[in-house]
Amino acid sequence: MRAVSKVKQHSIARKSLRRTLFFIVLILLAGSTFDAYNQAQLALVLILFIGVLSVTLLTGISGQLSLGQGALMAVGGYCMALLITNKGYSIWVAIPLAIVGAAIAGLLLGISAARLSGPYLAGTTLVIALAIPTLSNRFMSVLKGDEGLPVDVGYPPNWFTKLFGEPSYEQWQLYVALPFAAIALFFASNILLSRTGRMWRAIRDNETAASLSGVNFSRQKIFVFVVSATFAGLSGALYGLRGLVGPSVYPVSLSLTLLTAAVLGGIRSIFGAFIGTVIVVFLPDWIEAVLGSFELSEQVSNFMPALISSLLLILTVVINPAGVAGTHLHKHK
Amino acid sequence: MNVVRNRASLSRSPRSFITTAAVVLAGALALSAVPAQGASTPGVSATEIVLGMQLPQTGPASPGYNKVDDAIRAYFDYVNSKGGVYGRKITLVVKDDTYKAGLTVSTASALINKDKVFAMVGSIGTQTHISVIKDINRRGIPDLFVNSGYSGFYTDPKKYPTTFGALGTYVVEAKILGKHIKENFSKNTVGIVYQTDDFGRNTVEGLAIAGVTFTAKKTAATFIAGTQGSGLDAQMQQLKDNNVDVVVVGAVASAFAAAVSSANKIGYKPAQWIVISVGADATTFQTILGARGIPAASSAGLLAGTISASHAPSPGEAEDEYVKAFKTINDGFNKGPDKRWDNNVLQGMNIGYLTTSALLGVGKDLTRPGIIKYIEANAAKLPSAALSPLGYSSSTHEAFTGFWIGKYDATAVLKPIDATRKVWTTDSAKGAVTELKYTRPAIAADALPKVG
Repeated sequence: MRAVSKVKQHSIARKSLRRTLFFIVLILLAGSTFDAYNQAQLALVLILFIGVLSVTLLTGISGQLSLGQGALMAVGGYCMALLITNKGYSIWVAIPLAIVGAAIAGLLLGISAARLSGPYLAGTTLVIALAIPTLSNRFMSVLKGDEGLPVDVGYPPNWFTKLFGEPSYEQWQLYVALPFAAIALFFASNILLSRTGRMWRAIRDNETAASLSGVNFSRQKIFVFVVSATFAGLSGALYGLRGLVGPSVYPVSLSLTLLTAAVLGGIRSIFGAFIGTVIVVFLPDWIEAVLGSFELSEQVSNFMPALISSLLLILTVVINPAGVAGTHLHKHK
Repeated sequence: MNVVRNRASLSRSPRSFITTAAVVLAGALALSAVPAQGASTPGVSATEIVLGMQLPQTGPASPGYNKVDDAIRAYFDYVNSKGGVYGRKITLVVKDDTYKAGLTVSTASALINKDKVFAMVGSIGTQTHISVIKDINRRGIPDLFVNSGYSGFYTDPKKYPTTFGALGTYVVEAKILGKHIKENFSKNTVGIVYQTDDFGRNTVEGLAIAGVTFTAKKTAATFIAGTQGSGLDAQMQQLKDNNVDVVVVGAVASAFAAAVSSANKIGYKPAQWIVISVGADATTFQTILGARGIPAASSAGLLAGTISASHAPSPGEAEDEYVKAFKTINDGFNKGPDKRWDNNVLQGMNIGYLTTSALLGVGKDLTRPGIIKYIEANAAKLPSAALSPLGYSSSTHEAFTGFWIGKYDATAVLKPIDATRKVWTTDSAKGAVTELKYTRPAIAADALPKVG
C-alpha cells in the first residue's frame, strides 16, 4: 500500500511540475513579446494570481467564504516591508519570512474561524480587512500610518545582468514575480490533486459526512486557513513591492477583486484562478481599446470597468456558476 | 492513476490549459498593443506634447479635486486654440486612481509606458503619489506641480530631483496660521481635529513650531483620512467636553464639512474655526453640506467667519486680473461635468498657466532634463496667479512660500483679515515667520505667459 501511495505522490508531483514548467515557459514567451506596459500588467497578473489561488483554496475547495484576503495580503506586505526597511534584508529573504508572518496570522484567524461558517465567517474576515487603516495608524511609529512604507523590487543583481543582460524595470518586476507564482502554482496543484485536497472538498460538500469518513474538519479548517494565508501573504508582499506598503494599497476592494477574479474564472480551479486574474487585470485595457474611439465622458468611462466586471460577475453567477474553467468541464461531461 | 485523474477533475488537462491560456494571453497582447513612438523624447513630437496626470476622479476622496484636471485641460485647450507652444499642442491624459495607491502604480505605468507622456503634471494625493514618486524620479520623468503640500516630496531635491510642488507646504501654512493664533487667541482654549496622515501631522508640526500645542485625546481629536463620511461626532464631542472654543482643522474639505455638520448636530458652537487652505474650499464645503440637506444659504452662514489662508487670490475676488482672465477661459473651454468657478478650478488653471510658462521657457528643444533644469534655475521667471513667489531652487522644490490670512464673509468669499492684505512667509523648518513683499507679474491681455 505504501508503495502504491508513493507512486501516486510521484505522479501528482510530476503532473504539477509539468503544469508549472509549461506555465513558466508561457509567461516568459508572453513577457518577451509584450511591450513595457503589458509586461507590468503581466507581472500584476502573476502577483494577483497567487492571491486568487488563496481564494480558490479557501472558498472554492474548502467552502469557507472570506472577504478579508486583502488583510492577509497586507500582513505579508507589512512583514516584508518592515524587514527590508528596518533590517535591511533583501527581498529574497524578506519575502519567505513575510510568508511565515502571514501563515501565523492565518493560524490565528483559522483558530477563530473554525467555529464560524457562512455569513458569520464572511463578516469576521471583512472586519479584519476594514481594520487595516486603524491598525496602521494605531501603530504609527512602526507601520508609518497612511504614508506607509515605500519599497520596490530594486535592481537585478550583477550575476543576473551578466547572464541575461540588463532587463527593463517592468521585465525585472516580471522576473521577480514569476518564480514565486510558479512555486505557488506547483503547491496549489499538488494540494488539489492530493489527499488533502480531497479532504477539503469533502468538508465543503458535507461536514458531517466528512467527519464520519475520518476527517478532522476543525483541524483541516485551520490548516486551510494557514495555507490560504501563506498564498495571500506571498501575493501581498509582491503587491507591496510595486512601490508602497500602506493602507491604501490593501483596501477592502482588493479582497473583493480577488473574489471576483476567482468567481469569473471558476472558483474551483487553478486554471480558473489564472483566467479570472487575467480578466480583472486586463479588462480596463480591453474596454479602453473597444470604447476608446467613442469619446465617452470621464463620468461614464471611469465607471465602465467596475460596471462591466459587475455585469460579468452577475452573468457568471446566474448563467455559468462554474466560471470560464467550469464551462469547458461542463461541455465535456 | 485513475484515482488521481478523478481527483483532478476540478482542474484541467495540461493541453487544454495550454491552449486556453495562450489564447487569452494572445488576446491581451493584441488588444493592448500600442503603436511604437518614433520621437527621441517620449511624449514630444513636432506637433504635440503629451502630459499625464493622476487623481481621484471617483470615490470618497474625489469631491472638489475631480475638477482640477478639467481646469488644467481647459487652459491647455485655450493655449492650443492660440497655436500651442512653439506650434505643439498640449494633450493632457488623465487617469483615475480613486485614491488607492495600488491602482496609482498601474495608472502611472499606463501613462509612462502606454501613453508615453513627456511629464506628469498636477497629480493629486500624497499617499498615492508616495507609491510612484520613486519610480517616476528613477526614470527621469519630470513630475511637475504636484498637488500635495507634503514637504517630504520637495525639501530634498537629491532624493526626488524631478518632483516640484504646486502648493505651499502644510508646515509653512501651519506656521503662519500658528503665528496668527498665538497673537490673537492666546486667551482661548485652542484645539485641533486632524487626519492622521502626513497632512494632519505636518499641520500639527507647523503649529508646534509656532508655539501652538495640543494635548492628545483632550484638545487634539484625530480621525483616519477617508473615514469622515460617517461623521465626526465623537471628535467634536471630545473638543466640546474639553471646552475648546477655537478649533483648528487639519483635514480635507469633506472632513471640515463633516466636522461642522457634527458640531451643529451636537449643539457645539466654537467661537472660531481655523482651517488649512486645502480643507477650506467654499464650493466643496457647500456641496457636501448640500448633500446632507443643508441649503447653500445656511452652509454659507456656517462657513462665515472661518479663518483660512491662501497663496493665491480668493476665487471670489472678481476684480483680480488673474481671476478675471482664468474665469473667462473656464467659461469658454472647460468641458468637465462641473465647471463651477472655485478654488479647485483656480488651482487647475494656475497649474496649466505655470506648465505653459515652463514649456515656453525651455524653448523649442524640449527635453526632460531641460525642463527640470529650467524650472530649478528660473523660479523667478515663472509667472503665476499666486501672491507669493515660487521657492524652486537647487536646494528645495517647494512651490509657494507665502500665505495671506483671510476670513470667509457671508457670501462664502475669503477676504483678507487685515485692512490691506499682508502675505507672510517662512520655511518648512524652524525659520521665523516674516512679512513678504512681492509684486506679482501682471497677466497679459491674452492670458498667455510671456516667457522664453
